[in-house]
Parts: sequence; C-alpha cells; structure tokens
Amino acid sequence: MIKKITYAVGAVALLFGLWGVYIRLFEGEQSANYGSYIGWGLWVAMYLFLAGLAAGAYMLASLDYLFNIPQFKGTGKVMLWAALVTLPAGLASIGMDLGHMERIWKVYLEPNFTSFLSLMVWGYTLFLILIVISLYLAFIRPEKSAMKVVMWIGLVVAILVAGGVGFLLGGNAARLFWHVGLLPVQFPVFALASGAALMLVIVGWFGPKDNHVNRASQLWTLSLLAVVLSVVKLYFLVADFTQSLYGGAPNNVLAVQSVLTGRYWFSFWIVQIVIGTLIPLIVLVQPKLAKNDFIAGLMGVFLLIGYVAARLLIVVPGQVVPMLPGLAEAFSGPKLTFDYTPSLMEWSVTSAVMGFAILGILLGMDYLLGYLARFTEAKK
Amino acid sequence: MLDVLEKQDVLVRLHEDLQRALKKKPEERRWVMVIDLRKCVGCTACTIACIAENKLPPGVVYRPVMVEEIGTYPNVTMNFLPRPCMQCDKPPCTEVCPVTATYKNEDGVVVIDYDQCIGCRACIAACPYGARTFDFGYTYTQGLPMLEGAILGSKTAAEYERLSNFEYGEEWARNGGHESPIGNVRKCHFCLHRIKDGILPACTTTCIGRATYFGDANDPDSLVTELINTSNVVRLKEELGTEPRVYYLV
Repeated sequence: MIKKITYAVGAVALLFGLWGVYIRLFEGEQSANYGSYIGWGLWVAMYLFLAGLAAGAYMLASLDYLFNIPQFKGTGKVMLWAALVTLPAGLASIGMDLGHMERIWKVYLEPNFTSFLSLMVWGYTLFLILIVISLYLAFIRPEKSAMKVVMWIGLVVAILVAGGVGFLLGGNAARLFWHVGLLPVQFPVFALASGAALMLVIVGWFGPKDNHVNRASQLWTLSLLAVVLSVVKLYFLVADFTQSLYGGAPNNVLAVQSVLTGRYWFSFWIVQIVIGTLIPLIVLVQPKLAKNDFIAGLMGVFLLIGYVAARLLIVVPGQVVPMLPGLAEAFSGPKLTFDYTPSLMEWSVTSAVMGFAILGILLGMDYLLGYLARFTEAKK
Repeated sequence: MLDVLEKQDVLVRLHEDLQRALKKKPEERRWVMVIDLRKCVGCTACTIACIAENKLPPGVVYRPVMVEEIGTYPNVTMNFLPRPCMQCDKPPCTEVCPVTATYKNEDGVVVIDYDQCIGCRACIAACPYGARTFDFGYTYTQGLPMLEGAILGSKTAAEYERLSNFEYGEEWARNGGHESPIGNVRKCHFCLHRIKDGILPACTTTCIGRATYFGDANDPDSLVTELINTSNVVRLKEELGTEPRVYYLV
C-alpha cells in the first residue's frame, strides 16, 4: 500500500513539475524569484541536497561492499541505485538554474580549474562514472578485489565531492554566514546523515518482507546512525550560530537572525528543527518504534524534509544581507531585492526533480535491479 | 568675468590624460576611477547615463548610488556613494567562474565574455560589492498595451529597446529571444568601448558635480594619480584584500 502511495506521489510530483519545467525551458527565468542579489535559491539548495544524498547513499553502500557489515548485507545495490538516480536529479536541478544551460559543455572543454564550481562538475561527473562502474561490478563480481578498489575510490570521491560543495560556499570570504571554516567538514556529515535517512525509507517502506528479523536489526542500526548524525548536525548548527552571534559581525548576525527570528523562522524552527530533527530523534531512540517498518520509513522522510530545509537555510540566508548598506534601496527594478521565497514555478521544477527521483528509485528497485540480477545470474 | 568661469573644466584635463594614456601599451596603463564623495550631490545622473550608454534593461544596473542618512533632525545630513564595479586587482569574482567567462583584460578591467558565460551566478555570490546583476531578459515595454496609430508610444519604445548595445565593442542585439546578454551576468566595464575611442566613461562625463574622475594611475602627470596620492582616500572593504581600482575621496 505504502509503495502504491509513494508511486502516486512521485507521479503527481512529476506531472505538476512538468508545467514548471516547460515554463523554465520555454519562457525563461522571469517567473523565478531568485534574482541579482539573491542569485542562488531553491534549485541550488536542492542540488546540494540531492548531490549530498547521492554521496551519502554511496557511503552507505560501502557498508555492504567494503566493510561487510552483516546487517547491511544485500542493501548495497539499492543504495548504489539510489545514488545513481539522485545525483542526476541534483545535476538537473542545478542545470535548470543556469542562464545558458546549453553551454554546459564549456565546463568540460573550456574549464577554469581555479573555480570550485568547475571542479565540482568534474568531480560529480567522475563520481557518476564511479557509481555506474560500482553498480555494474555489484552485479557481475561483487566479491572480487576490483569491486573493493572501485568502492574505495568511490568512497573517497564521495567524501571529497560532498566536502567540495561545502567549500563552494565556505570559500566565499565576502559572505560571513557561509565563511565558516568547518563547512567543508560538515557537508560530508550532512551527506551521510541524508543517506541514512534515505535508507530508513527504503528499508522501512520498501525492503523485502521475507526476512523480518534482519530488517528489524537493520532499522535499529540505521535509526541509531541517523540519531547520532542528527545530533552531530545539531551540534554543528548550535556551534555555528552561537559563534556567529557571539562574534557579533553585523552581516553575520543579521543573516543568523533572519533564520532564527526573521523571515525564515518557520522553515527553521518548525520544518528543520521540529519535523526534521526533534520528532525523528524522539521516535528513533525508542527501539520498539524504530523497528516498526512504517514509522522508521516515516521518520526517514521527516529527516529528509529537515535536510532540504537545512540546505535552503544555508544557501539563502548567506545572501539576504546587502553587501553594502543602502544597496537594496539604491536602485529599483525586477529581481533587485534581498527578500526571497521560492516561486510556484521554482517549486514546480523541484517537484519534477523529486518526482523523477522518487519514481526512478522505485522503478529501479521494482524492475531494473531484479531484471539485472536475473540477467547476470543467467549469464553466469 | 568671474575667475571661476575662466577655470578649465576638469573633463578637459581628464580627456587630455586619456589621450596620453591611450598612446601607451594596454599593460602599461592602470585605469582607475576616483569619486569625490564631497562633491557628489546624489543626482544619479551617472546611473542614468550608464543605463542609456549601455542600454541596460530593467533589473540590470552598473552604477547605483547608495544614500545614507546621518544624524537626527535638526542635525541631519545625507551621504551619497556611487558604486561602479571596483575592477579589483585581486577580483574574487573571476576565479570562481567555471568557464573563465569573466576575467581581467589586458587593461586590467574585469570584463565578461557574454558568449562564454553559462549564467551560473557564482560571480554574483562572490562579489563583495554587489556589483553584478543578472539579465533576466526584461524589457521596459513588457506587458504594456500597444496603441495603434500613435506616432510614438510603446511600439516605438519597444523597437528602441530591441536596438543593439555595443558593450565591449561588439553588437549585442535584443531580438526577443534568449541570446546573450540575456541569461548572463552583467557589470560595469568602465565603458571600455568609449575609452577605446578616446572618450571618457559615460558616468564621468555626465557627473554634474564633476565628482567622478577617470584616468591612468600609472601616469604621474594624470589627475587621478594626483588625487589618489592624497591622505583622504579610501577604498571599499580593503580588509578583503581585493585591491579595488575605485578610490573615494572623503
């Protein structure tokens, strides 16, 4: 039942999203709410989220293929598949954000390697190739050393690309809210945390029903992992905000205030903290609840929603404070504003991306992975 | 005749300085802009001149003037801060560009190759001065009703809007499609297309208070060199180490 509902949610999301994709591709970016002062909005945040999710999923696949942890036996393929779906979804999201997406080839053929953005495109392309090779080897020869070597390389690349995204923001000295030394350290943790949340959903809602004992054990281990990572993430957040407020640099304080008490208070307190952190923490530390398939999956969804909010609340507040006093009022025109809430068209495109990711993961699990397993077995 | 009327307009001196600088090799000159904040009256003529010169569409601005109100009545005053691109010697915007679409040219001016720019806006995020804006393809006549039979009106205005601009010495048409510079980041370039022809930037010639100066800081005889070597010179956000080429006299 839950799978049918998820399929329906994915399909509806994709259908609603097609409208936004059409508007974006054929009418341009005027109906987006990001602009010249807040240049990066929802789509960039979703890119960070989905690319982080791919890295996290890959990290979790390594529990099966690299570290041979018994509870995760057999979950590697699904997590690799999830990485293979979420990474292109993230890249699609950032692609829609480009003013001239038809020129993306220039990043490959005419790159500027002093640009972290360029390095990230190359890094994610390499990561995508590694995911494909890993998945291929997972079917053909999962026990062989080639698989181990590729998975080790992939794991290191996953950590580096996740950290690189943190550097993309953290390396910007002009924006104090982002210019936190630990951002490149935090992002791989965020990635792993979101991977664990995704795995909770996959195992809890869509895992094989035939081995209930093993699944309860998987869910409990995943719950503990998700809880620990959530607490670490919360610690990072408290440390960041306390340091910023105590330091008192005006631009940084204003940015933090926009999150805590300003325009984005609801997204922060209700979505990120209550729904995305506290409820899952309280539920998942209770073994009885954590081992319940439906509840564990639902907490995974809550955690993922919280991580989306967290990404938005890193990307946007870093841009809400005018670079110079009076800049906001100095000249008026469309998109010359420091207020940002995603437009319907932006939500619609994100809906398409999420619909693609949901349906992609489900269809892969239900049809492709089984087909490939049978195909490779037959070949053997 | 009053003495003041016999004085040479500062633009004449700046023009002579410019002609002298243009005889040098590009890499030997150092274009700088000096803005005397004590003379700026906040008329925004520079902003408008820039828009007219570069045919900037709605939402794109190269030189806004920021207004700061100081004090409380009756001890109140206004400060005006025109903000062109700082043309930093160590620009944070160029190194983040994934395709080298924005870079310092041989004159040391930070330029944008519109045909190369992918529109990622990383340079907008990196600029500490908010000096870059994105061209979303707006027109001033967008959504206005057309008045049939009128000699002048939105139709004529729309036709004017579609005329090309000539930034960087190239023709950039606005035909209603998605051709560059639509979808690109845009910024002040010190009116390079005018400088090339020996004409001062539009903001400089238009300033009614003669508060904006432009010239070659490598020329010891230029007015800008004279001005930036005084004690009342500041640059914005020096602590970031960007080495701006725009100097303010305070």
